[in-house]
Amino acid sequence: MSTDAGFIELNDINMRFGLPAEALPVVLQGIDLSIAQNEFVSIVGRSGCGKTTLLNIVAGLVEATTGTVTIAGNQVRGPGQGQGVVFQQHALFPWLTAMGNVEFGCRKADISKSEKREVCRQLLDLVGLSHAADKYPRELSGGMQQRVAIARALALDPEILLMDEPFGALDELTRIELQQELLRVWDARKKTVIFVTHSITEALILSDRVILLSPHPGRVFKDYQITLPRPRIRTDPAFNAMYQEIWEGLSA
Amino acid sequence: MSNRISAKDVLLGGIGTLAVLVPWEIAARSGIVDPSIFPSPILAISSAAEKLSATEVLDHMGWSLFRVFSGFLLGALAGITIGIVAGWYRTAGYLLRPMIELLRPIPPLAWIPLAIIWFGLGEPSKFFLIFLGAFFPVVTATYQGVTNVDPILIRAAQTFGLKGIDLLVRIVIPGAAPDLATGIRIGWGLSFGVLVAAELIAADKGLGYMIMHARLLGYVDVIVVGIVLIGILNLLTDGMIAWLIKKGIGRWHEV
Ligand SMILES: Nc1ncnc2c1ncn2[C@@H]1O[C@H](COP(=O)(O)OP(=O)(O)O)[C@@H](O)[C@H]1O
Ligand SMILES: [Mg+2]
Repeated sequence: MSTDAGFIELNDINMRFGLPAEALPVVLQGIDLSIAQNEFVSIVGRSGCGKTTLLNIVAGLVEATTGTVTIAGNQVRGPGQGQGVVFQQHALFPWLTAMGNVEFGCRKADISKSEKREVCRQLLDLVGLSHAADKYPRELSGGMQQRVAIARALALDPEILLMDEPFGALDELTRIELQQELLRVWDARKKTVIFVTHSITEALILSDRVILLSPHPGRVFKDYQITLPRPRIRTDPAFNAMYQEIWEGLSA
Repeated sequence: MSNRISAKDVLLGGIGTLAVLVPWEIAARSGIVDPSIFPSPILAISSAAEKLSATEVLDHMGWSLFRVFSGFLLGALAGITIGIVAGWYRTAGYLLRPMIELLRPIPPLAWIPLAIIWFGLGEPSKFFLIFLGAFFPVVTATYQGVTNVDPILIRAAQTFGLKGIDLLVRIVIPGAAPDLATGIRIGWGLSFGVLVAAELIAADKGLGYMIMHARLLGYVDVIVVGIVLIGILNLLTDGMIAWLIKKGIGRWHEV
């Protein structure tokens, strides 16, 4: 295995739901991707072009019709191989408190209950929610729910964070706040991130690399390296030039 | 919370209740209606007390509660178990659901003749009827609860490596709890309704028996006290169940 390139490898992924006889449309076709360790990759594309499906395949939640995904050289055969997932809706367990949800994510069997509690408390702290540890999901705002969901995914101590439009349902201000926090977490915990979004701005604020999927069937259409210095500034002319370039790619 | 009851609401409720009871009391005392058919509510209690001792009434109540509780408990347990199995395991669902759907619309009281033929006039036939009263609402609600658990929660749990029985116990059952709670309340109410009917048929103990026996003796006051007691018992026990449910899941689920 090469050291850096190809931490996550997608090899010729094809996806069609249902039985072959149903002849449903092809959702993903010939997806080849190679993602380096600690890389922050955004996937951008129109609604319905297969972003969620692609993410679920990497997560091991959905099996591709053909093709393979490998993580650090090991083929993905299901969830729980180091992939933490944050869904579009918060997907928190409503019967558990914020702390309970994060503790659910901590699957380490070899640490004591109090150690576990401490690890989870730090995670809640990391996402700025130590004060809400005992609140239930329905008592939290959308932004707080998504913060807990991130902490819960991190509790698994995954090498990879897969995020499916995690901030799509949030208001603009909360969204910007969470983007900053995610970058902070990414910096602090060194994760490889695949981040699905339909916001070019969001992709540019966050990513090392932006991948454009084309619809019907979903294919890798463009692959941009984003070399803009961090922190990224929305009003920076170089930022806008990059925005323009991706926008033209999307409308092509 | 908006469903807090204000003093004004209580006052209105009191006025509404008195608007029925006061004219009744006046009509019965003044002889406008025949008190041997419509006894005055206040006099009914005192005259019934002369015909029945408190220990007798408590004994009847105890029997009724024991019957409804044991039948309900087994019916609910069976309903929960079968509901979970049918909802979680595909094959079991296909096997069990048609039969449940077929039997479910039959009112429990329609089973009375069969219950008597199968189990006789004693306790087992009563138990069977009460069991049915609890079983069908609970099995239906549990099945629905299990199949309606948000798939995103199951996926989320899978990303943490949960599968099989762990998914069922840690995600599906808690997720189904609100529906299950509704089923339990409906089941308890139906069990209670069936109880009195079962005791009207053949019994020598229980509130149903008490009012039926009073009818034979022409004790209208005892009948009135009996049916009011049945209402109060149902109200109190239902309130207790509602309270337990709220304590159990009220914090995370709007009930
Ligand atoms: N379980 C499924 N069964 C059949 N078709 C599906 C399923 N999930 C997604 N699809 C189809 O696959 C396509 C891509 O969906 P999705 O991956 O959700 O797109 P995106 O996340 O980019 O909006 C859509 O046309 C959708 O209808
Ligand atoms: Mg999607």
